[in-house]
Amino acid sequence: MPGVDLTIEICGMSGDGTIAAGTLLNEALSGAGFSIIGFDSYPAEIRGFGRCVTRSRFGTSRMLALSDHTHVLISLDDQQAISRISMLGKNAKVLFDNKPAGTVQEGMSIAAHTAPDADLYGMPFTDLASEAAGTTRGKNLAALGCFTGLAGIDPRFFYTVIEKKFRAKGETVLNANLNSFNAGLTYAHTHFEDAPLVITAPAPEKKKVQRIMLSGNAAIARGALDAGLALYFGYPITPATPIMEYLAKTLPQKGGKVVQMEDEISSIGAVLGSFYAGKRAMTATSGPGLALMAEMISLGVMSETPAVIVDAQRGGPSTGLPTKTEQSDLHAAVFGGPGDSPRIVIAPTDVAECYQFTLKSFELAEKYQTPVIVLTDFFLDNRVENVAAADISGKKRVDGNIYPPKKEQGRYQRYLVTPSGISPRALPGSEGYIYPATGLEHTEAGLPDYSEPVHMQMNAKRHTKIRQALADLPPPKEFSQKGPLDLGVIAWGSSFGAALEAVLKARKKGLAVGALKVISLFPYHEEQIRQFMSRCRRVLIPELNFQGQLANLIGHLHHGDVVRFNRTTGTPLLPSEILLKIQELLQKDNT
Amino acid sequence: MKTSGRILAQKVQDIQTSGRLSIRSASLPTWCPGCGYFGIHQGLNNAIQQLSLPHHSIVTVTGIGCAGRYAFFNNTYSFHVTHGRTLPVATGVKLANPALTVFAIGGDGDGLAIGGGHLPHMARRNINVNYLLFDNSMYGLTKGQPSPSSPVGTKTKVSPAGTFEMPLNASLLGLSYGTTFAARLFAGDPESITQALIEGIRHEGFSFFHIYTTCLTFDKENKTWEHLKERVHPLPQKYDCSNLSKAMAHILEDDFSTGVIYKKS
Ligand SMILES: Cc1ncc(C[n+]2csc(CCOP(=O)(O)OP(=O)(O)O)c2C)c(N)n1
Ligand code: SF4
Ligand SMILES: [Mg+2]
Repeated sequence: MPGVDLTIEICGMSGDGTIAAGTLLNEALSGAGFSIIGFDSYPAEIRGFGRCVTRSRFGTSRMLALSDHTHVLISLDDQQAISRISMLGKNAKVLFDNKPAGTVQEGMSIAAHTAPDADLYGMPFTDLASEAAGTTRGKNLAALGCFTGLAGIDPRFFYTVIEKKFRAKGETVLNANLNSFNAGLTYAHTHFEDAPLVITAPAPEKKKVQRIMLSGNAAIARGALDAGLALYFGYPITPATPIMEYLAKTLPQKGGKVVQMEDEISSIGAVLGSFYAGKRAMTATSGPGLALMAEMISLGVMSETPAVIVDAQRGGPSTGLPTKTEQSDLHAAVFGGPGDSPRIVIAPTDVAECYQFTLKSFELAEKYQTPVIVLTDFFLDNRVENVAAADISGKKRVDGNIYPPKKEQGRYQRYLVTPSGISPRALPGSEGYIYPATGLEHTEAGLPDYSEPVHMQMNAKRHTKIRQALADLPPPKEFSQKGPLDLGVIAWGSSFGAALEAVLKARKKGLAVGALKVISLFPYHEEQIRQFMSRCRRVLIPELNFQGQLANLIGHLHHGDVVRFNRTTGTPLLPSEILLKIQELLQKDNT
Repeated sequence: MKTSGRILAQKVQDIQTSGRLSIRSASLPTWCPGCGYFGIHQGLNNAIQQLSLPHHSIVTVTGIGCAGRYAFFNNTYSFHVTHGRTLPVATGVKLANPALTVFAIGGDGDGLAIGGGHLPHMARRNINVNYLLFDNSMYGLTKGQPSPSSPVGTKTKVSPAGTFEMPLNASLLGLSYGTTFAARLFAGDPESITQALIEGIRHEGFSFFHIYTTCLTFDKENKTWEHLKERVHPLPQKYDCSNLSKAMAHILEDDFSTGVIYKKS
């Protein structure tokens, strides 16, 4: 039996309960054992008015990226959903609200717009809801019921999540929703007997894996909480704000504080102050904020003060495209700021990694006494995945601080030059270790000194230290067969999933291609990357920016051809377009 | 002669054994001889001594400028940050470890120009940080450019025809931003600096110290020692520092009175 791999879209007007329906659908399908990746889009600018779309790809094997086409479109508002028709694949199913004749304006029913190969299922969502619950508000639930009936999915998966969502709102609300759902379900069963859209749920896992539906941003916040975050300082900006919202709800319960600062400069300033005084702190921003932070990040580098900064990338330059996804801050994250200022930059590629690397970044920041930038993007921040609970919890919290030994009391040197470049760091409040920290070039004691040997020595110290960090940073991960490859695909961040899926598909077609996931962008594992490249006749680097910023960073490590594949249209990379590029390149090689 | 010599020697010894010097860092201030900052240094050091604050429990966050160099001249933990950013960093330090006594120190360029956006929000947060703004109406470290508090007509190398901008009044800004403790002081009077600091350090909340001082190297005509000494005077005898509107009215009328101008009760 071939595995399931389907994409469902729900589309409506704001107020239709589109996003809520999408969330319930994802949760229920997760409960049924599918792997899910979901990505909502709401009105691009001011929320509250306009089109809402939720997109869920689910299947029996792990879902790595979004898909090209929609297989099932559930329209809660035809006028809005008509614009989604272009996304439909061959023989798509369209479920729409079948309103009584005469109540729909000419040409405004989606039925009048779909391609002839689409299967149309007009079902009276609104009427079903109002009959079942006395209100039309449950039409989204009625639609879900209709879908469940058509797909032959066990409705108990939906009951569980509906209960969970509405229980707290009281019996009446819960029942209204359950009744609307059931009305839809019965309608589908009675009107479409042999469920035309059968989706077979995967066999239950032998060992039940507990899964949690989580967005990248929520995973980042949870990683920070599990790291023992004490203080969050931030200034609102899309797409980073949900991290602040999540922490505003959760951090105070753990005795921490969330403070909205006057700008990003003060946010990073307060983060540095907090780490300097010995407490874990974080800020999250996007490109425009990262730019403002550049001077303070380099203060962190020079004064060897830890900091954790999330840069949730969006389209740029400048204010750019606030609600679009892009990977164009890589250069700014790695190189931004005055002088030679090495710092750590890591880019998670999926939701579980958002959790894991955020958590890890605190230990790295402390151990290497440096700002750490966690680089995500709009797509990774906002997409949801049903991650295994084990992947986002239970990780040990490690204190990365290295304190000076007792014997240094009274003659402590804050910036002592050591072979590793790491100097033990005393915290304010400790007796006998008083020192100045400074952004000026300084001696081992922390006093200003611009002499040639000191600047050379201290630059070397700071760079040595960051190179040492490689040992603690997640190494590149290879997905390929052994031996020589015709093509190696190297990707980072939210685009990696699409690249991997493309490579797996290409390998199924018998092509000698492999994928390399690069997580640590600075410092990067030169040796491992070079080794992978040396086995590849050609290298392809697909990324969501115009210049090919990863290609700029690591392309020089390859002796052969480095092909860039760049797109800046504000939407995530898709496996199909990368696969096409792979095939095109290999075909060219053969002719 | 002999007796007075002995008295002097005794005095030196007394000072050395009293521990009063231990608050000074081993590196001596590099300020120009005669700079007003020496008086502020003395005033703050005496306040720390008189309150018996353990030096390792103090963090001095300083900005960039001659004033910012304060970080190296005191035997406390210090963090010499970027130009204008003392207050955000001090916020992080204090919230991270409330047991620390935190000072923020910077010049008038640091606090009124590049970092001018932080003062209102520091006042709003009202976190227990003590902010000393050294106001010499001059950019000292960068060798004499006008600052936001320079009077109209200030002539420098970058303003040969004299400045046209109106000066800012830091004390008035502090009050209008809602600072819960505000003092205006004079570097030529370390004793009153000490007294105001003791009161401000004890104040639970943000304390703002606007300190008139002079850059004798680059300012030959505006805020010179002579000019300041002639004008600076204590607040009126019956001054009520708990009344905000009266404090503001007073500040608008009198540019040179010194003391604790407002304390929210
Ligand atoms: C971002 C930035 N811009 C400019 C400078 C150069 N700079 C150093 S100190 C200073 C002004 C100092 O004036 P003030 O703050 O009044 O301090 P003072 O030297 O008078 O004590 C300037 C402009 C800098 N260090 N950083
Ligand atoms: S330049 Fe001016 S402010 Fe700086 S130390 Fe000299 S006198 Fe003081
Ligand atoms: Mg000045």
